[in-house]
Amino acid sequence: MFDEKDLVLEAKHVTRRFPAAGGRELVACNDVNLKMYRGKTLGLVGESGCGKSTFMRFLVWLDKPSEGEIWFRGKDITKLKGRELWENRQHIQMVFQDPSTSFNPKMKIRDIVCEPLLNFKRIKHSEKDARARALLEMVELPGEFADRYPHNMSGGQRQRVAIARALALEPEIVVMDEATSALDVSVQETVIELITKLQREKNITIGFICHNLGLIQSFSHQIAVMYLGNIVEVMPGEGMADVCCHPYSKALLDAVFDTKMDFSKKIEPIKGEPPSPLDVPAGCPFADRCPHCMDICRRERPVLQPLGPEHEVACHLFKKGETA
Amino acid sequence: MALLEINNIDISYGKTVTVKDCSISLDKGEICSIVGESGSGKTTVIRAVLGLLAGGGKVTAGDIIYEGRSLLTLNDREWRALRGHDISMIFQDSGAMMNQTRLIGKTYVEYILTHENISKKEAWEKGAEMLGRMRLPDPDRIMRSYPFQLSGGQRQRVGIAMGMTYQPRLLLADEPTSALDVTTQAQIVRQMMELRDEYGTAIIIVTHDLGVASYMADKIVVMKNGVIEDQGTREHILHETENAYTKKLMEAVPSLGGKRYV
Repeated sequence: MFDEKDLVLEAKHVTRRFPAAGGRELVACNDVNLKMYRGKTLGLVGESGCGKSTFMRFLVWLDKPSEGEIWFRGKDITKLKGRELWENRQHIQMVFQDPSTSFNPKMKIRDIVCEPLLNFKRIKHSEKDARARALLEMVELPGEFADRYPHNMSGGQRQRVAIARALALEPEIVVMDEATSALDVSVQETVIELITKLQREKNITIGFICHNLGLIQSFSHQIAVMYLGNIVEVMPGEGMADVCCHPYSKALLDAVFDTKMDFSKKIEPIKGEPPSPLDVPAGCPFADRCPHCMDICRRERPVLQPLGPEHEVACHLFKKGETA
Repeated sequence: MALLEINNIDISYGKTVTVKDCSISLDKGEICSIVGESGSGKTTVIRAVLGLLAGGGKVTAGDIIYEGRSLLTLNDREWRALRGHDISMIFQDSGAMMNQTRLIGKTYVEYILTHENISKKEAWEKGAEMLGRMRLPDPDRIMRSYPFQLSGGQRQRVGIAMGMTYQPRLLLADEPTSALDVTTQAQIVRQMMELRDEYGTAIIIVTHDLGVASYMADKIVVMKNGVIEDQGTREHILHETENAYTKKLMEAVPSLGGKRYV
């Protein structure tokens, strides 16, 4: 399904440490290796504080990893500086979770969607009107919205404007941080439909952060599950429910409520909360909450191993080549 | 006799009627979900039940009957005895509803002393015991914490523990899991179901998560623009209804192994 020549971005051994009180360290991302392919969606799932946003922030230079490399267009983007960094920013854009706080409330929609274009001198001021209209129509909003302010719009409309702004520069990669979490289900559906339609038309790579596996599996090509800064499983999006085998991914799946589920099923939520990322246990980070915890899990940290096509898992339950 | 009957109420803020002709009835131990998009008036309805309408909202027509008496004519004193004792409410973020500069234990003790004539020490112990029953680890430490020191899931469980202290006959939950992770959400949903099984608490849960709503509910009320669009048993709403809006809403829920967009 994935062709190596379509590889757009590759993260190698990315680690981020934050200094914490008392000389301790908080490891937000631990040795993360991920690949993103042209025109495909990478879904990153996990609980709050597992480091998924931290990782995506590296891609848009909102933060820098402490160790590791991120290769994009033949360069390690973590080492970029000055003009080169600025030039590179056009290729990766971001859509934030809450559209009401990610706009300047005093700017009109026209100025919001055209700001990136003016910034990189792609258009002249005289072309703004026409361009804003075209961009709004691309996200299925009426062109007259260009004269509005963000507060005159509903949440779903604002999120469409945010998508228009991110796509204005025709980037190769768009990072979406919980871009639909603040929306109603019916609005969420239309926004996802729009995103996938634009992805097909423009062949964009999407990095999507979400904590709802049910939602993310409906439009991701590749899903990575993250727990306490570690990637515990990478799997294809299609048929994900059948192949997923890490105990944590399964627990996440069990926690999804949908209208077609068996209502007599007793929910068995995983116990407790994730340990503080300040004192991650020595062995497998999930050991304390895992129903299948063995001796080796407490001693040795499992590494990602291939299990099937496009499928890797970090768990002692699965040895190389064996299936679940 | 039904535990709670909401009979054809209109709720208005000033001259604008936000909720129109709304009727819901609830039996003992029954769970009812109110679903709908933002701004459909679902929170307004349950706030009206507890007389907590914000900003001068008023019930302008109809009546709310709880165990045979009208809630609309209660005086302050009667309300104080009822709220938090017979009828409790859980908010979207219980932690934000507490005073951030007071210990959780202090807030809890104050609440218990409003309803019961016991010593502060006994009240403290009672609070800690309730927290333990809600499976909060180390209840004594939680009693000595400030709300901001706890995680979202823990705060929500503190809110539920407080709401359940007197085993109310009716629990109103306003988006109790919307701000939480899926795993924590599953824990909270399970705990609320156990409350019904153990104490026979009737629950009205307001949510926009149709998955949670259909898992918990015996009956579902669909609201749109302040009007009840559709209501019925869970099976009716999920499988039999002819209402176009309900159908559209149900189809929009992402489900495992369901529709894929790519």
